[in-house]
Amino acid sequence: MKTTWLMLFLFLTTPLLAQEKQQVTAADYANREVSMADSFRAEGKIYVVVAILATVLAGLLVFTLVTDRKVSKLEQEMEHLKKKIIN
Amino acid sequence: MLFQEVLALIKKEFVLEWRQRYALNGMILYVFSTVFICYLSFNVKGAQLHPITWNALFWIIILFTAINGIAKSFNQERYGRFYYYYALVSAQGIIVAKMIYNALLMLLLAILGISVYSLVLGNPVADWPLYLLNMILSAIGFSTTLTLVSGIASKASNSPTLMAILSFPVILPMLLIIIAISKNAIDGLDRSVSDSSLLVLVAINLIVLSLSYILFPYLWRS
Amino acid sequence: MAKLNSKHVIWKLLASLLLFYTIIGGLMMEVPRLPILNETIRALYFHVPMWFGMIILLLISAVYSIRYLNKDDQAYDDIAVEFANAGVIFGVLGIVTGMIWAQFTWGAWWSGDPKQNGSAIALMTYFAYFILRNSLSDQQQKARISAIYNIFAFATLIPLLFILPRLTDSLHPGNGGNPGFNAYDMDSKLRLVFYPAVIGWTLLGVWIASLRIRIKRLKSDMNDLEYQR
Repeated sequence: MKTTWLMLFLFLTTPLLAQEKQQVTAADYANREVSMADSFRAEGKIYVVVAILATVLAGLLVFTLVTDRKVSKLEQEMEHLKKKIIN
Repeated sequence: MLFQEVLALIKKEFVLEWRQRYALNGMILYVFSTVFICYLSFNVKGAQLHPITWNALFWIIILFTAINGIAKSFNQERYGRFYYYYALVSAQGIIVAKMIYNALLMLLLAILGISVYSLVLGNPVADWPLYLLNMILSAIGFSTTLTLVSGIASKASNSPTLMAILSFPVILPMLLIIIAISKNAIDGLDRSVSDSSLLVLVAINLIVLSLSYILFPYLWRS
Repeated sequence: MAKLNSKHVIWKLLASLLLFYTIIGGLMMEVPRLPILNETIRALYFHVPMWFGMIILLLISAVYSIRYLNKDDQAYDDIAVEFANAGVIFGVLGIVTGMIWAQFTWGAWWSGDPKQNGSAIALMTYFAYFILRNSLSDQQQKARISAIYNIFAFATLIPLLFILPRLTDSLHPGNGGNPGFNAYDMDSKLRLVFYPAVIGWTLLGVWIASLRIRIKRLKSDMNDLEYQR
């Protein structure tokens, strides 16, 4: 346990000074000179992209969840098998 | 206790090395021939090689020499001898002794290396004391890092390749900072410019040193 | 083992919600209008969390390596390996997405950005870690030696990540760093999505790692049963 703390301490003491950074100001939000996808947003097309990405994410998450369920089913079966063999 | 142990073990390393001079001679020849190959490959006189190239090339040569030299630090020990040590001395004693010995060896090789290197490829260094300090710190750093890695690699089957691939990423932070400091020394920049880099180098050395000290007993037991 | 799933469903739900929030909020919320970055500033919510996630997952891996050394338990080694695996996946995704972004913003696939180099070195380290594992045959020796390397490598990786940006600055004085995320300090509005994004993506990584750990445990259980028969 002592060594664990010592090592964690070593990890955490290493960070050195961070780089100096530029501040983002309110003026940056209002800066109309920088072109953004404004018309794209105004036309509401952004919702299409959001819907597509959300669907992809949902699909992948459901798939991961199904895999998760499958693994837990296998784990349960394994428990049964263990009991059977030990008895 | 630990101190005496370490002294005895360092003495043992020196005696062993002196008895098997071919290994030491081999390493020295390795430095010489690598430097000479670089010189012939670039096919230029010293003054024409760009300082950045000069610097990087030198440290890469030293890096490879170090990896080759330190790789054998555990391979030399025969199997029976391991058990003998195991009964006699502590793991910490062994790693500290090996690290000190390897640091001295690295320093010797680096000094020989820089002499030959300057002889054939010229020498743009402006701030020698800083350069030498950097060299000493790098010898310590290379030896502390690589001694543990060579211990790890010696446990595996294809150790020469493994030694190289395991040590490259681990040695990289150190190598980069060393190259940066020696670039400052070559340009003869004001000492204060290198202060923080030197501090970082010392800090990395300490981290690696203490980690090796903590981790080696686990390696030794397996 | 089975209870592991039902009780811990909450953080999986949290991960999913945070990721939906990241996609919706990340694309629709207002962002500062910065030159060169333009609309690509939104990559902050998708690319940078890969990098953060990688570091967090690798940290977990290193912590379990330490625990393995303290208490020779094979389960800890499995956890360390799988978190390293997940961390590497995040690292690869981070590098690839970063390269796409760099090509269209800085004009080169590989532009020597410190973060880019850092993650490349991190990947190199962990590939070496996997090769080390594969070249050791005895299970216990494999676990122990690779744990030692994992701790050692992670400890040197962290200073590297802090050193690299400083070095590039010192090598290119006056160049002032590329215009990118690194140059700007995030404001509260950006953080509003960024931190949830980091947590969400990291939890997803933890989820994937946990699945693989459970599969690994099943496999070793299976071997045990085979042995008992």
